[in-house]
Amino acid sequence: MTKKRWIILYLVPALFFAVIFFIIPLIYILYVSFFEWNGLNNMTWIGIQNYLDVLKDANFQLAFKNTILWILAAVCIHVPFGLLLALLLNRKVFGWKVFRVLFFLPNVISITALAFLWYFIYHQDMGLLNWGLRAAGLTSATRGWLTDLGTALPATMVPFVLYVGLTTVIFLTQLATVSDEMREAAILDGATGWQMDRYVYIPLVKPAIATNLMLNVAFCLKNFEYPFVMTSGGPINSTTTLSLYVYKKMMNANQYGISMVGSVFTILLGFILMILVNRMQKDRKDA
Amino acid sequence: MKKRKKKNLMIFIFLVIVAILMLLPFAWLILSSFRENMDLLSNPFGTPKSLSIQNYVDVFRRQPMLRYLFNTCLVAVIAVVLDVFVSMLTGYAMLHRFRFRKTLSVMFYVGLFIPANAFMVPYYIMITKAGLYDKIAGLGMVYAAINLPFSIMIIRGFLETLPKQVMESGRIDGATTNQLLWKIVFPMSKPGIVTVCIFIIINSWNELFFANLLTQSAKSQTITVAIKSFLSAFEANYGYAFAAMMISILPTIIVYVFLTNKIIGGMTAGAVKE
Repeated sequence: MTKKRWIILYLVPALFFAVIFFIIPLIYILYVSFFEWNGLNNMTWIGIQNYLDVLKDANFQLAFKNTILWILAAVCIHVPFGLLLALLLNRKVFGWKVFRVLFFLPNVISITALAFLWYFIYHQDMGLLNWGLRAAGLTSATRGWLTDLGTALPATMVPFVLYVGLTTVIFLTQLATVSDEMREAAILDGATGWQMDRYVYIPLVKPAIATNLMLNVAFCLKNFEYPFVMTSGGPINSTTTLSLYVYKKMMNANQYGISMVGSVFTILLGFILMILVNRMQKDRKDA
Repeated sequence: MKKRKKKNLMIFIFLVIVAILMLLPFAWLILSSFRENMDLLSNPFGTPKSLSIQNYVDVFRRQPMLRYLFNTCLVAVIAVVLDVFVSMLTGYAMLHRFRFRKTLSVMFYVGLFIPANAFMVPYYIMITKAGLYDKIAGLGMVYAAINLPFSIMIIRGFLETLPKQVMESGRIDGATTNQLLWKIVFPMSKPGIVTVCIFIIINSWNELFFANLLTQSAKSQTITVAIKSFLSAFEANYGYAFAAMMISILPTIIVYVFLTNKIIGGMTAGAVKE
Protein backbone atom coordinates (compact mmCIF):
# COMPACT_ATOMS: atom_id res chain seq x y z
CA MET A 1 0.00 0.00 0.00
CA THR A 2 1.31 3.46 -0.82
CA LYS A 3 2.07 6.08 1.77
CA LYS A 4 -0.80 8.23 0.57
CA ARG A 5 -3.32 5.45 1.12
CA TRP A 6 -2.02 4.89 4.64
CA ILE A 7 -2.40 8.57 5.45
CA ILE A 8 -6.01 8.57 4.26
CA LEU A 9 -6.67 5.44 6.26
CA TYR A 10 -5.15 7.01 9.38
CA LEU A 11 -7.57 9.90 9.18
CA VAL A 12 -10.64 7.67 9.02
CA PRO A 13 -11.10 7.16 12.79
CA ALA A 14 -10.84 10.87 13.59
CA LEU A 15 -13.25 11.68 10.77
CA PHE A 16 -15.60 9.00 12.07
CA PHE A 17 -15.65 10.68 15.49
CA ALA A 18 -15.98 14.13 13.97
CA VAL A 19 -18.94 13.10 11.81
CA ILE A 20 -20.75 11.03 14.45
CA PHE A 21 -20.16 13.22 17.49
CA PHE A 22 -19.84 16.67 15.97
CA ILE A 23 -21.25 17.21 12.49
CA ILE A 24 -24.35 15.02 12.68
CA PRO A 25 -25.35 16.32 16.16
CA LEU A 26 -24.87 19.89 14.97
CA ILE A 27 -27.13 19.37 11.95
CA TYR A 28 -29.58 17.43 14.08
CA ILE A 29 -29.81 20.22 16.67
CA LEU A 30 -30.42 22.82 13.98
CA TYR A 31 -33.02 20.63 12.29
CA VAL A 32 -35.04 19.70 15.38
CA SER A 33 -34.97 23.28 16.64
CA PHE A 34 -37.63 24.06 14.01
CA PHE A 35 -40.04 21.42 15.30
CA GLU A 36 -42.36 20.98 18.19
CA TRP A 37 -41.51 17.61 19.67
CA ASN A 38 -41.95 15.89 23.03
CA GLY A 39 -39.49 13.13 22.23
CA LEU A 40 -42.17 10.50 21.58
CA ASN A 41 -44.90 11.57 19.18
CA ASN A 42 -44.52 12.92 15.68
CA MET A 43 -42.61 16.10 15.19
CA THR A 44 -44.50 19.14 13.95
CA TRP A 45 -42.77 21.77 11.84
CA ILE A 46 -43.33 25.17 13.42
CA GLY A 47 -40.64 27.26 11.74
CA ILE A 48 -38.88 29.72 13.99
CA GLN A 49 -41.59 29.60 16.65
CA ASN A 50 -39.25 27.83 19.12
CA TYR A 51 -36.70 30.58 18.72
CA LEU A 52 -39.31 33.25 19.39
CA ASP A 53 -40.61 31.32 22.42
CA VAL A 54 -37.16 30.85 23.87
CA LEU A 55 -36.21 34.50 23.45
CA LYS A 56 -39.41 35.47 25.25
CA ASP A 57 -38.95 32.83 27.97
CA ALA A 58 -38.05 34.58 31.23
CA ASN A 59 -36.20 31.45 32.39
CA PHE A 60 -34.01 31.45 29.32
CA GLN A 61 -33.23 35.13 29.76
CA LEU A 62 -32.28 34.38 33.35
CA ALA A 63 -30.12 31.39 32.36
CA PHE A 64 -28.42 33.50 29.70
CA LYS A 65 -27.83 36.36 32.11
CA ASN A 66 -26.46 33.99 34.75
CA THR A 67 -24.09 32.37 32.27
CA ILE A 68 -22.81 35.84 31.34
CA LEU A 69 -22.40 36.61 35.06
CA TRP A 70 -20.38 33.39 35.47
CA ILE A 71 -18.19 34.47 32.58
CA LEU A 72 -17.75 37.90 34.16
CA ALA A 73 -16.81 36.26 37.47
CA ALA A 74 -14.21 34.25 35.56
CA VAL A 75 -12.81 37.28 33.72
CA CYS A 76 -12.97 39.85 36.53
CA ILE A 77 -12.24 37.77 39.63
CA HIS A 78 -11.02 34.24 38.93
CA VAL A 79 -8.31 35.06 36.38
CA PRO A 80 -6.94 38.19 38.18
CA PHE A 81 -6.89 36.28 41.47
CA GLY A 82 -5.04 33.41 39.79
CA LEU A 83 -2.55 35.90 38.36
CA LEU A 84 -2.04 37.55 41.75
CA LEU A 85 -1.24 34.20 43.37
CA ALA A 86 1.12 33.31 40.52
CA LEU A 87 3.01 36.61 40.86
CA LEU A 88 3.31 36.12 44.61
CA LEU A 89 4.50 32.52 44.24
CA ASN A 90 6.91 33.77 41.60
CA ARG A 91 8.67 35.80 44.30
CA LYS A 92 9.86 32.40 45.52
CA VAL A 93 8.93 33.10 49.12
CA PHE A 94 9.51 30.41 51.72
CA GLY A 95 7.51 27.28 50.88
CA TRP A 96 6.28 28.48 47.49
CA LYS A 97 6.53 25.01 45.99
CA VAL A 98 4.32 23.59 48.73
CA PHE A 99 1.76 26.35 48.19
CA ARG A 100 1.70 25.56 44.49
CA VAL A 101 0.89 21.92 45.20
CA LEU A 102 -1.74 22.82 47.82
CA PHE A 103 -3.45 25.41 45.62
CA PHE A 104 -3.67 22.92 42.77
CA LEU A 105 -5.11 20.11 44.88
CA PRO A 106 -8.81 21.13 44.62
CA ASN A 107 -8.48 21.10 40.83
CA VAL A 108 -7.99 17.34 40.70
CA ILE A 109 -11.17 16.78 42.72
CA SER A 110 -14.43 16.43 40.85
CA ILE A 111 -16.62 19.50 40.70
CA THR A 112 -19.48 17.30 41.81
CA ALA A 113 -17.66 16.57 45.06
CA LEU A 114 -16.65 20.22 45.48
CA ALA A 115 -20.20 21.39 44.84
CA PHE A 116 -21.45 18.78 47.28
CA LEU A 117 -18.95 19.91 49.92
CA TRP A 118 -19.96 23.55 49.54
CA TYR A 119 -23.61 22.58 49.67
CA PHE A 120 -22.88 21.41 53.21
CA ILE A 121 -20.73 24.43 54.00
CA TYR A 122 -23.71 26.65 53.18
CA HIS A 123 -26.13 24.45 55.10
CA GLN A 124 -28.40 26.50 57.33
CA ASP A 125 -28.02 24.52 60.56
CA MET A 126 -24.84 22.51 60.39
CA GLY A 127 -22.88 24.41 57.75
CA LEU A 128 -19.35 25.58 58.37
CA LEU A 129 -20.12 29.13 57.20
CA ASN A 130 -23.02 29.83 59.55
CA TRP A 131 -21.08 28.24 62.38
CA GLY A 132 -18.17 30.58 61.72
CA LEU A 133 -20.50 33.57 61.66
CA ARG A 134 -22.14 32.54 64.90
CA ALA A 135 -18.76 32.00 66.54
CA ALA A 136 -17.78 35.50 65.42
CA GLY A 137 -20.94 36.92 66.98
CA LEU A 138 -22.54 37.69 63.63
CA THR A 139 -25.62 35.56 64.18
CA SER A 140 -27.79 38.03 62.28
CA ALA A 141 -25.76 37.40 59.12
CA THR A 142 -26.46 33.67 59.11
CA ARG A 143 -28.92 32.37 56.55
CA GLY A 144 -29.62 29.52 54.17
CA TRP A 145 -27.08 30.73 51.66
CA LEU A 146 -28.36 28.59 48.83
CA THR A 147 -32.05 29.17 49.45
CA ASP A 148 -31.83 32.93 49.88
CA LEU A 149 -32.62 34.68 46.59
CA GLY A 150 -30.03 37.36 47.22
CA THR A 151 -27.09 35.07 47.92
CA ALA A 152 -27.78 31.85 45.98
CA LEU A 153 -26.10 32.81 42.70
CA PRO A 154 -22.90 34.28 44.15
CA ALA A 155 -22.77 31.37 46.60
CA THR A 156 -22.69 28.85 43.73
CA MET A 157 -19.82 30.81 42.17
CA VAL A 158 -17.60 31.01 45.25
CA PRO A 159 -15.90 27.60 44.93
CA PHE A 160 -15.14 28.28 41.26
CA VAL A 161 -13.68 31.68 42.06
CA LEU A 162 -11.70 30.36 45.01
CA TYR A 163 -10.13 27.27 43.42
CA VAL A 164 -7.78 28.98 41.00
CA GLY A 165 -4.96 26.43 41.17
CA LEU A 166 -5.08 25.43 37.51
CA THR A 167 -5.15 29.06 36.36
CA THR A 168 -2.30 29.94 38.72
CA VAL A 169 -0.11 27.07 37.55
CA ILE A 170 -0.64 28.03 33.90
CA PHE A 171 0.56 31.55 34.77
CA LEU A 172 3.49 30.13 36.74
CA THR A 173 4.57 27.95 33.83
CA GLN A 174 4.63 31.01 31.60
CA LEU A 175 6.48 33.04 34.24
CA ALA A 176 9.17 30.38 34.38
CA THR A 177 10.02 31.14 30.74
CA VAL A 178 11.27 34.62 31.70
CA SER A 179 14.99 34.44 31.07
CA ASP A 180 17.50 34.99 33.86
CA GLU A 181 19.27 37.73 31.89
CA MET A 182 16.08 39.69 31.62
CA ARG A 183 15.44 39.31 35.33
CA GLU A 184 18.96 40.35 36.23
CA ALA A 185 18.91 43.29 33.84
CA ALA A 186 15.73 44.56 35.46
CA ILE A 187 17.20 44.15 38.94
CA LEU A 188 20.33 46.02 37.85
CA ASP A 189 18.10 48.84 36.64
CA GLY A 190 16.84 49.02 40.19
CA ALA A 191 13.38 47.53 39.67
CA THR A 192 11.63 46.69 42.93
CA GLY A 193 9.35 43.68 43.37
CA TRP A 194 6.20 45.46 42.28
CA GLN A 195 7.94 47.16 39.35
CA MET A 196 9.27 43.81 38.22
CA ASP A 197 5.71 42.48 38.17
CA ARG A 198 4.34 45.52 36.40
CA TYR A 199 6.99 45.97 33.71
CA VAL A 200 8.60 42.57 33.29
CA TYR A 201 6.29 39.78 34.33
CA ILE A 202 2.77 40.96 33.49
CA PRO A 203 3.63 41.92 29.88
CA LEU A 204 5.29 38.53 29.48
CA VAL A 205 2.35 36.47 30.72
CA LYS A 206 -0.10 38.02 28.27
CA PRO A 207 -0.32 34.82 26.19
CA ALA A 208 -1.18 32.95 29.39
CA ILE A 209 -3.85 35.55 30.19
CA ALA A 210 -5.50 34.83 26.84
CA THR A 211 -5.23 31.07 27.42
CA ASN A 212 -6.70 31.31 30.89
CA LEU A 213 -9.54 33.53 29.69
CA MET A 214 -10.32 31.03 26.96
CA LEU A 215 -10.23 28.00 29.27
CA ASN A 216 -12.34 29.64 31.96
CA VAL A 217 -14.88 31.08 29.55
CA ALA A 218 -15.21 27.63 27.99
CA PHE A 219 -15.72 26.20 31.46
CA CYS A 220 -18.42 28.73 32.36
CA LEU A 221 -20.26 28.07 29.11
CA LYS A 222 -20.73 24.42 29.90
CA ASN A 223 -20.96 24.93 33.63
CA PHE A 224 -23.56 22.52 34.88
CA GLU A 225 -22.31 20.73 37.98
CA TYR A 226 -22.18 23.63 40.45
CA PRO A 227 -25.82 24.77 40.09
CA PHE A 228 -27.12 21.25 39.39
CA VAL A 229 -25.67 19.79 42.58
CA MET A 230 -25.97 22.79 44.88
CA THR A 231 -29.38 24.22 44.01
CA SER A 232 -30.82 22.39 40.94
CA GLY A 233 -31.14 25.89 39.55
CA GLY A 234 -33.33 27.22 42.40
CA PRO A 235 -34.53 29.14 44.29
CA ILE A 236 -37.07 30.24 41.64
CA ASN A 237 -34.55 29.46 38.88
CA SER A 238 -32.23 32.20 40.13
CA THR A 239 -29.11 30.04 39.68
CA THR A 240 -29.96 28.34 36.35
CA THR A 241 -27.29 28.36 33.66
CA LEU A 242 -27.62 27.65 29.94
CA SER A 243 -26.51 24.02 30.33
CA LEU A 244 -29.03 23.49 33.07
CA TYR A 245 -31.76 25.15 30.98
CA VAL A 246 -31.07 22.80 28.06
CA TYR A 247 -31.04 19.85 30.46
CA LYS A 248 -34.29 20.76 32.19
CA LYS A 249 -36.18 21.52 28.99
CA MET A 250 -35.41 18.01 27.81
CA MET A 251 -35.48 15.93 31.00
CA ASN A 252 -38.21 17.67 32.98
CA ALA A 253 -40.35 19.44 30.40
CA ASN A 254 -39.87 17.10 27.40
CA GLN A 255 -39.70 20.13 25.13
CA TYR A 256 -37.05 18.87 22.74
CA GLY A 257 -37.39 21.66 20.20
CA ILE A 258 -37.02 24.30 22.89
CA SER A 259 -34.07 22.44 24.40
CA MET A 260 -32.35 22.42 21.00
CA VAL A 261 -32.81 26.15 20.61
CA GLY A 262 -31.08 26.54 23.98
CA SER A 263 -28.23 24.43 22.58
CA VAL A 264 -28.02 26.51 19.42
CA PHE A 265 -27.71 29.70 21.46
CA THR A 266 -25.08 28.12 23.72
CA ILE A 267 -22.99 27.09 20.73
CA LEU A 268 -23.43 30.53 19.12
CA LEU A 269 -22.35 32.26 22.31
CA GLY A 270 -19.34 29.92 22.42
CA PHE A 271 -18.35 30.87 18.87
CA ILE A 272 -18.71 34.58 19.52
CA LEU A 273 -16.60 34.43 22.68
CA MET A 274 -14.01 32.26 20.98
CA ILE A 275 -13.68 34.76 18.14
CA LEU A 276 -13.43 37.65 20.63
CA VAL A 277 -10.60 36.04 22.60
CA ASN A 278 -8.89 35.03 19.38
CA ARG A 279 -9.10 38.58 18.05
CA MET A 280 -7.63 39.84 21.33
CA GLN A 281 -4.68 37.53 20.84
CA LYS A 282 -4.20 38.68 17.25
CA ASP A 283 -4.37 42.38 18.11
CA ARG A 284 -1.65 41.85 20.63
CA LYS A 285 0.56 40.11 18.12
CA ASP A 286 0.12 42.94 15.61
CA ALA A 287 0.77 45.65 18.18
CA MET B 1 17.21 44.02 52.67
CA LYS B 2 15.32 44.12 55.92
CA LYS B 3 12.37 45.74 54.21
CA ARG B 4 12.32 42.98 51.64
CA LYS B 5 12.26 40.32 54.32
CA LYS B 6 9.29 41.98 55.97
CA LYS B 7 7.49 42.10 52.65
CA ASN B 8 8.17 38.43 52.00
CA LEU B 9 6.80 37.60 55.41
CA MET B 10 3.59 39.44 54.56
CA ILE B 11 3.30 37.58 51.28
CA PHE B 12 3.90 34.32 53.12
CA ILE B 13 1.13 35.11 55.62
CA PHE B 14 -1.24 36.01 52.80
CA LEU B 15 -0.50 32.72 51.03
CA VAL B 16 -1.11 30.81 54.26
CA ILE B 17 -4.50 32.48 54.63
CA VAL B 18 -5.44 31.60 51.04
CA ALA B 19 -4.33 28.01 51.57
CA ILE B 20 -6.44 27.77 54.74
CA LEU B 21 -9.49 29.20 52.95
CA MET B 22 -9.07 26.65 50.18
CA LEU B 23 -8.34 23.64 52.32
CA LEU B 24 -10.35 24.18 55.49
CA PRO B 25 -13.48 22.71 53.87
CA PHE B 26 -11.54 19.51 53.18
CA ALA B 27 -10.30 19.28 56.75
CA TRP B 28 -13.89 19.67 57.90
CA LEU B 29 -15.01 17.00 55.43
CA ILE B 30 -12.37 14.51 56.58
CA LEU B 31 -13.11 15.04 60.26
CA SER B 32 -16.89 14.85 59.76
CA SER B 33 -16.65 11.65 57.75
CA PHE B 34 -15.36 9.88 60.87
CA ARG B 35 -18.11 11.14 63.14
CA GLU B 36 -21.45 9.57 63.95
CA ASN B 37 -24.53 11.11 62.43
CA MET B 38 -26.20 11.84 65.78
CA ASP B 39 -23.05 13.45 67.06
CA LEU B 40 -22.84 15.57 63.90
CA LEU B 41 -26.44 16.69 64.14
CA SER B 42 -26.52 17.53 67.83
CA ASN B 43 -23.17 19.21 67.95
CA PRO B 44 -21.73 19.83 64.49
CA PHE B 45 -18.67 21.75 65.62
CA GLY B 46 -18.00 20.60 69.15
CA THR B 47 -15.29 18.15 70.05
CA PRO B 48 -16.25 14.87 68.42
CA LYS B 49 -17.49 12.29 70.89
CA SER B 50 -15.74 9.55 69.06
CA LEU B 51 -14.11 8.95 65.71
CA SER B 52 -14.76 5.72 63.88
CA ILE B 53 -14.73 4.26 60.42
CA GLN B 54 -18.30 3.06 60.87
CA ASN B 55 -19.65 5.48 58.22
CA TYR B 56 -17.26 4.03 55.67
CA VAL B 57 -18.16 0.47 56.54
CA ASP B 58 -21.86 1.24 56.28
CA VAL B 59 -21.53 3.06 52.96
CA PHE B 60 -19.63 0.14 51.46
CA ARG B 61 -22.23 -2.26 52.80
CA ARG B 62 -25.26 -0.33 51.57
CA GLN B 63 -23.96 0.73 48.18
CA PRO B 64 -21.97 -1.18 45.58
CA MET B 65 -19.09 1.28 45.93
CA LEU B 66 -16.51 -1.09 44.47
CA ARG B 67 -18.69 -1.55 41.44
CA TYR B 68 -18.94 2.23 40.95
CA LEU B 69 -15.18 2.60 41.29
CA PHE B 70 -14.65 -0.25 38.84
CA ASN B 71 -17.10 1.29 36.34
CA THR B 72 -15.32 4.62 36.58
CA CYS B 73 -11.95 3.01 35.87
CA LEU B 74 -13.35 1.04 32.96
CA VAL B 75 -14.96 4.09 31.36
CA ALA B 76 -11.67 5.98 31.70
CA VAL B 77 -9.71 3.10 30.16
CA ILE B 78 -12.07 2.90 27.16
CA ALA B 79 -11.80 6.64 26.58
CA VAL B 80 -8.01 6.60 26.97
CA VAL B 81 -7.42 3.66 24.62
CA LEU B 82 -9.72 5.05 21.92
CA ASP B 83 -8.31 8.57 22.14
CA VAL B 84 -4.65 7.57 22.18
CA PHE B 85 -5.19 5.29 19.19
CA VAL B 86 -7.15 7.84 17.16
CA SER B 87 -4.87 10.74 18.10
CA MET B 88 -1.70 8.84 17.22
CA LEU B 89 -3.09 8.02 13.78
CA THR B 90 -4.33 11.56 13.24
CA GLY B 91 -1.24 13.26 14.61
CA TYR B 92 1.00 11.13 12.44
CA ALA B 93 -1.09 11.74 9.33
CA MET B 94 -1.07 15.46 10.00
CA LEU B 95 2.73 15.46 9.85
CA HIS B 96 2.35 14.89 6.12
CA ARG B 97 1.08 17.22 3.45
CA PHE B 98 -2.26 16.57 1.82
CA ARG B 99 -5.29 18.43 0.59
CA PHE B 100 -7.79 19.62 3.25
CA ARG B 101 -5.07 19.46 5.89
CA LYS B 102 -5.76 23.06 6.85
CA THR B 103 -9.54 22.44 6.96
CA LEU B 104 -9.04 19.50 9.28
CA SER B 105 -6.79 21.57 11.53
CA VAL B 106 -9.45 24.24 11.86
CA MET B 107 -12.10 21.64 12.59
CA PHE B 108 -10.07 20.08 15.42
CA TYR B 109 -9.42 23.55 16.81
CA VAL B 110 -13.11 24.47 16.78
CA GLY B 111 -13.84 21.16 18.49
CA LEU B 112 -11.82 22.38 21.47
CA PHE B 113 -14.30 25.13 22.18
CA ILE B 114 -17.64 23.53 21.45
CA PRO B 115 -19.54 23.29 24.73
CA ALA B 116 -20.19 19.54 24.51
CA ASN B 117 -23.13 19.83 26.89
CA ALA B 118 -25.08 21.43 24.06
CA PHE B 119 -25.01 18.03 22.31
CA MET B 120 -26.91 16.41 25.10
CA VAL B 121 -30.07 15.52 23.14
CA PRO B 122 -28.40 14.10 20.03
CA TYR B 123 -25.93 12.10 22.14
CA TYR B 124 -28.74 10.77 24.27
CA ILE B 125 -30.76 9.70 21.24
CA MET B 126 -27.75 8.23 19.43
CA ILE B 127 -26.56 6.24 22.41
CA THR B 128 -30.07 4.95 23.11
CA LYS B 129 -30.67 4.01 19.46
CA ALA B 130 -27.32 2.20 19.37
CA GLY B 131 -28.45 0.12 22.34
CA LEU B 132 -25.71 1.59 24.50
CA TYR B 133 -27.86 3.40 27.05
CA ASP B 134 -26.84 2.46 30.59
CA LYS B 135 -23.78 0.64 29.19
CA ILE B 136 -20.19 1.41 30.12
CA ALA B 137 -19.22 1.22 26.46
CA GLY B 138 -21.66 3.99 25.53
CA LEU B 139 -20.33 6.38 28.16
CA GLY B 140 -16.75 5.47 27.23
CA MET B 141 -17.44 6.37 23.58
CA VAL B 142 -18.89 9.73 24.56
CA TYR B 143 -15.94 10.49 26.84
CA ALA B 144 -13.57 9.57 24.04
CA ALA B 145 -15.45 11.93 21.74
CA ILE B 146 -15.49 14.93 24.08
CA ASN B 147 -11.81 14.55 24.99
CA LEU B 148 -10.64 13.84 21.46
CA PRO B 149 -9.95 17.42 20.27
CA PHE B 150 -7.67 18.04 23.25
CA SER B 151 -6.00 14.67 22.87
CA ILE B 152 -5.30 15.31 19.18
CA MET B 153 -3.90 18.75 19.98
CA ILE B 154 -1.45 17.40 22.57
CA ILE B 155 -0.27 14.36 20.61
CA ARG B 156 -0.01 16.31 17.36
CA GLY B 157 2.00 19.01 19.11
CA PHE B 158 4.27 16.35 20.55
CA LEU B 159 4.82 14.50 17.27
CA GLU B 160 5.84 17.77 15.64
CA THR B 161 8.73 18.05 18.11
CA LEU B 162 10.13 14.61 17.21
CA PRO B 163 13.30 14.75 15.10
CA LYS B 164 12.55 14.18 11.42
CA GLN B 165 15.78 12.22 10.91
CA VAL B 166 14.47 9.30 12.95
CA MET B 167 11.57 8.80 10.59
CA GLU B 168 13.72 9.26 7.52
CA SER B 169 16.32 6.75 8.65
CA GLY B 170 13.50 4.31 9.42
CA ARG B 171 12.20 4.75 5.91
CA ILE B 172 15.64 4.15 4.41
CA ASP B 173 15.86 0.94 6.43
CA GLY B 174 12.79 -0.16 4.50
CA ALA B 175 10.10 0.23 7.15
CA THR B 176 6.59 0.66 5.74
CA THR B 177 4.54 3.69 6.76
CA ASN B 178 2.58 1.59 9.20
CA GLN B 179 5.66 -0.01 10.77
CA LEU B 180 7.22 3.42 11.11
CA LEU B 181 4.22 4.65 13.08
CA TRP B 182 3.91 1.74 15.52
CA LYS B 183 7.52 0.60 15.86
CA ILE B 184 9.32 3.94 15.89
CA VAL B 185 7.04 6.94 16.41
CA PHE B 186 4.69 5.36 18.95
CA PRO B 187 7.37 4.33 21.49
CA MET B 188 8.95 7.78 21.22
CA SER B 189 5.65 9.51 21.98
CA LYS B 190 5.36 8.26 25.52
CA PRO B 191 5.52 11.68 27.25
CA GLY B 192 2.71 13.03 25.07
CA ILE B 193 0.63 9.92 25.63
CA VAL B 194 1.11 10.10 29.41
CA THR B 195 -0.13 13.70 29.36
CA VAL B 196 -3.24 12.68 27.45
CA CYS B 197 -3.88 9.72 29.76
CA ILE B 198 -3.72 11.86 32.88
CA PHE B 199 -5.98 14.48 31.40
CA ILE B 200 -8.62 11.98 30.27
CA ILE B 201 -8.53 9.88 33.43
CA ILE B 202 -9.06 12.92 35.64
CA ASN B 203 -11.83 14.21 33.38
CA SER B 204 -13.58 10.85 33.26
CA TRP B 205 -13.30 10.42 37.00
CA ASN B 206 -14.89 13.81 37.57
CA GLU B 207 -17.47 14.09 34.80
CA LEU B 208 -21.11 14.28 35.84
CA PHE B 209 -23.22 15.67 33.00
CA PHE B 210 -23.07 12.79 30.53
CA ALA B 211 -22.66 10.14 33.21
CA ASN B 212 -25.90 11.35 34.72
CA LEU B 213 -27.59 11.45 31.32
CA LEU B 214 -26.47 8.11 29.92
CA THR B 215 -26.46 5.74 32.86
CA GLN B 216 -29.17 4.58 35.17
CA SER B 217 -28.17 1.55 37.21
CA ALA B 218 -25.26 0.34 39.30
CA LYS B 219 -24.03 -1.79 36.41
CA SER B 220 -22.78 1.29 34.58
CA GLN B 221 -22.95 4.29 36.91
CA THR B 222 -19.69 6.01 37.72
CA ILE B 223 -18.68 7.21 41.14
CA THR B 224 -19.70 10.83 40.45
CA VAL B 225 -23.28 9.91 39.54
CA ALA B 226 -23.44 7.58 42.50
CA ILE B 227 -22.35 10.43 44.77
CA LYS B 228 -24.98 12.67 43.26
CA SER B 229 -27.72 10.16 43.98
CA PHE B 230 -26.41 9.67 47.53
CA LEU B 231 -27.27 13.28 48.17
CA SER B 232 -30.92 12.30 48.05
CA ALA B 233 -30.50 8.81 49.46
CA PHE B 234 -28.32 9.88 52.41
CA GLU B 235 -29.84 13.31 52.92
CA ALA B 236 -30.81 12.38 56.44
CA ASN B 237 -27.46 10.86 57.29
CA TYR B 238 -24.68 13.38 56.97
CA GLY B 239 -22.06 11.01 58.30
CA TYR B 240 -22.73 8.65 55.37
CA ALA B 241 -22.79 11.51 52.88
CA PHE B 242 -19.39 12.75 54.06
CA ALA B 243 -17.88 9.27 54.01
CA ALA B 244 -19.23 8.66 50.49
CA MET B 245 -17.68 11.91 49.29
CA MET B 246 -14.35 10.94 50.83
CA ILE B 247 -14.46 7.60 49.03
CA SER B 248 -15.00 9.38 45.72
CA ILE B 249 -12.20 11.92 46.12
CA LEU B 250 -9.63 9.78 47.92
CA PRO B 251 -8.35 7.92 44.82
CA THR B 252 -7.65 11.19 42.98
CA ILE B 253 -5.91 12.67 46.00
CA ILE B 254 -3.73 9.59 46.51
CA VAL B 255 -2.72 9.59 42.85
CA TYR B 256 -2.08 13.32 43.05
CA VAL B 257 0.21 12.91 46.04
CA PHE B 258 2.34 10.35 44.20
CA LEU B 259 2.34 11.96 40.77
CA THR B 260 2.02 15.66 41.67
CA ASN B 261 4.26 17.08 38.99
CA LYS B 262 3.13 14.70 36.26
CA ILE B 263 -0.49 15.60 36.96
CA ILE B 264 0.09 19.33 37.13
CA GLY B 265 2.06 19.04 33.90
CA GLY B 266 -0.62 16.90 32.26
CA MET B 267 -3.45 19.22 33.14
CA THR B 268 -1.66 22.39 32.06
CA ALA B 269 0.00 20.94 28.97
CA GLY B 270 -0.83 22.66 25.75
CA ALA B 271 -1.84 25.77 27.65
CA VAL B 272 1.58 27.39 27.54
CA LYS B 273 3.58 27.76 24.37
CA GLU B 274 7.18 28.74 24.76
